[in-house]
Formats: sequence, C-alpha cells, structure tokens
Amino acid sequence: MSDGVGKDSLKGLTEGENQQSNRKKKKLGTDEFAQAVARIAVAQVCEGLGFQSFNQSALDVLADVGVRYIRDIGKTACSYANLANRSQCNVFDVIQGLEDFGSVQGFPGASDLNHCLLGSGVVRDVIRYVAQAEEIPFAYSIPAFPVVKERIFSPSYAQAEENPPDEHIPSWLPKFPDPDTYADKDSETEVANKILLVEEPDATVERSSSSMHRRLICNGSEAGVVVDKVDAAKVKLAAESNPFLAQPLQFGEKDVLLPVVPAKLLEETLGYHRSRKVLDNHLSKSMPSTNEAASNNAPCETEDRRNILFNERQNVHFKFGNSKKSVGTGMCSQTEGSEKNSLWFGDDCDGEDEKKRTAEKVLRENMEIH
Amino acid sequence: MNGQTSHPQPKDGRHDDDAALTEFLASLMDYTPTIPDELVEHYLAKSGFQCPDIRLTRLVAVATQKFIADVATDALQQCKARQSTIIKDKRDKQQKDKRLILTMEDLSKALSEYGVNVKHQEYFADTPSAGLDSPPRDE
Repeated sequence: MSDGVGKDSLKGLTEGENQQSNRKKKKLGTDEFAQAVARIAVAQVCEGLGFQSFNQSALDVLADVGVRYIRDIGKTACSYANLANRSQCNVFDVIQGLEDFGSVQGFPGASDLNHCLLGSGVVRDVIRYVAQAEEIPFAYSIPAFPVVKERIFSPSYAQAEENPPDEHIPSWLPKFPDPDTYADKDSETEVANKILLVEEPDATVERSSSSMHRRLICNGSEAGVVVDKVDAAKVKLAAESNPFLAQPLQFGEKDVLLPVVPAKLLEETLGYHRSRKVLDNHLSKSMPSTNEAASNNAPCETEDRRNILFNERQNVHFKFGNSKKSVGTGMCSQTEGSEKNSLWFGDDCDGEDEKKRTAEKVLRENMEIH
Repeated sequence: MNGQTSHPQPKDGRHDDDAALTEFLASLMDYTPTIPDELVEHYLAKSGFQCPDIRLTRLVAVATQKFIADVATDALQQCKARQSTIIKDKRDKQQKDKRLILTMEDLSKALSEYGVNVKHQEYFADTPSAGLDSPPRDE
C-alpha cells in the first residue's frame, strides 16, 4: 500500500511529531499528549491508505475530527445507556450511537426502523473493514493516561487504633497532625494575646479618661472646675517657666475639649485685670502691705484661693455669653482679692519680676489674639 | 454480553447476526487497532462512557479508524483526481510534486461529505514539507 520512501518519511514525521508533542507537553500540559497520540495514529492510518505526506494543518484537522468522533460516540452511547436506566454502556448502546453517526452517510438497512441492532449495517461495515484493512499496530507503546496520582489518606483514629484526644472528636476522623506542627502557631497566638492585653489597658485608660472628660462636660459646672484647675496649673507653670514655652502648651491644650476656649478667654480677661493691677501696684508701690499679709497666713490662703478661683470662674462660665466688659466689671471685685492672694502665694523673693513677666505675657497674648 | 460471547446461539435468522457479532467482538480481543486503546479510553472516559469491557473500546476504536480511513480515502481520491487534471505537458515538470499529499483542500472536500464543515483561510501559510525534516512547526 505504501512504498518505502513514504514509510520512512512518515516514520521521521511521527518521531518528529512525538518530539514536538513532548516539547509542547512541557509547555501546555493538559490534553496535548492525547492530541499528539491521536495525530500519530491518524498519520498511520493515512499512511496505510497510500498517502505519502501531509500538510500539518490537514493532519491536525483530521486528528481532531477523529477525536471528536470518539467523544461523540461515547456521549451518544452514554445517553442511550442512561435512557435505558443504566449507568454502564453495553454493545447495543455503542451500535446505536454508530448508527446515529452513520445515518449521515447511510448504511444498509437504515430505512428499516425496527431492524435488530445485532445485524446492523454499520456493524457489518465495520466487520468488513476490519477483515479487509491491514492491521497496523500503533507505532509506540504508550502508558495509560492521564496519570492520576494516588492520594494517600492519613489514617483515622479508628484505623490507627488510637483514642481521640477529646471525647467530642469522633474516632472516624483522620488523626490530627503532630502537636509540633501547630504548637508554634499556638505560642504565636498567645504572644499576640499578650500584646493585646498589654495594649488594652492603655486604650481603656484613654477611653475612660476621654469618657470622663465628656461626662464632666455634660455635668457642666464640674467640667469647668476640672478644666480650670488644669488651666490654673498651666498658667502657674507658664509663669514660672520661660514664657515662650507657655504658648505651645496652651495651643496643645486646645484639643482637650471645648471648655478650654472659654477658660482661655477668661484667662485673658483675668490677665487684663491682672496686668492692670500689676501696673497699679507698680504705680502705688503697695507691696509691703501685701508682703506682710503673705508672711502672716500663706499656708491657709492657698485653700482659700482655690475655692475662690473655682467659684469665680464658674460664675464667669455662666455669664460669659453676655459681654466681656460686664463680666470684667463684675469680676473686678473678686479678682482683686484673689489676685492679691495669688501674688502672695508666688515666690517671695522675686514676686515683682514674676508679676511683670506674667503681665507682659498676658498682654502679648491679648495682642496676638485680638 | 459475556453471555453472548460464551454461548453461541443456534443458527437461524437473527441468531446468525448474533453469532456474527459475537464472533466479531471476540476477534477484537486479538485485533489491535491503529488507534491505541489508551487514547480511546481516555476520550471515552472524558465523554462519560463507562464500560470495563476492552472489546467495546476496541469496537469504538475500530469504528473511528474506519471513519478516518473513509475520510482519508475520499481525500486521497480527491488528491488523485486533482493531479490527473493537470495538463500532460506540465506533468513532467511537476513529476516531483506528484506525491500524494494530504492537503486541507482535499480534506475539507472529503469531510464536507461527512457533515463536517472545515474551512481554512486562503492565506494560511502551511508548507507541504512541514515536518519532513522535523523543523520547528510554524503555522
């Protein structure tokens, strides 16, 4: 059927084909191997018929058609088997499928609808073909494919004849992996928990402090007291330290909460009167009398001063909305007394310098703000 | 099916066919189709076909082989017919090219008779010598 030259060339072709398929398989994987095998088989069939060579595209098409033929036969036979309430196909399903495909071409006895599948014309054609055709075995011995990797299941507790670690774990479950494999994770989680625990107190403290602030603000007067306390301490600190450092502190204090702003304004009004007072003091030189008073009852005066300050500032909070001047005039009498106290409470040695500094600072603040 | 093969029926009418089929299936055990069993099994399994019987696989393989052979025979006839139409004085020049080559042109004609419409593009660059010296395939 085929001359030697054709055979040799085809052999070379098939080998080349195989190499190509191997190369492709590495690249693409999936179904490339099966397609290559189909191509070789189709090439062998064509060679048996007398073809000497082929176009690659034609061979690809023919191999693809052949593969589709196999798959369609399988699909049809499977559907016929399922139609007969079977899951496994038998020869009659296959013959039925072959008849379906042969009906395009026609086969002997196709016109008889009730013919027996045993004597189907398609089968007779196939039998004739097998008898006539030269038996050409496949050129290569190929392994069964696709290779399915066997999965090794880990034995269950029942198979390993061990008892599960806990009662709630049924024995049919696969054995748990060694504790070493997940012990590290546990320790990690523990560490993470610890970190969380460490972090949490800070958060709670912050939260509680902020919530306390809020609560105090809601309470109103008390909030004023607290913030004023802080503010008074601030003022004292600012007075004692470098006045240039005082400003950032006050700005930083802004974000504490709303009452800061009225407190600051209050301070401004206070400072205004204080500066006036200081100036008055400078003018009238009335220090000796105050110094005497300070030397007499300094320790008990501190308590008094605080109380006075709180009360006075609370009042200011309530009346603040009206106007500065009225508040200032209203406060004047109170501030005079408190100012004296605060002056006495200041450093005895350089009280005058202190007063000057605070007066300058407050004036500067006023200038900046207005 | 095993019953069919192991118990040849008495010969009359339908039982004749039965015997023929049984004999044929039995003969398939010794026959090795060109299409390897592994390939057919692979694709049958892909299509949902379930049968442990190797003879059915062989039957499908043989039927497919026959189908391919029919198509290829038609294509071969087309090829021969095309070559015979070449003018005789040119035939000497083209003696070298008178080899029987499976081409898309012939194959598409042959397949169209089997209900498969194959059309390849006119400018498709496919060399007749593709794969002869196993060069890298470029289509």
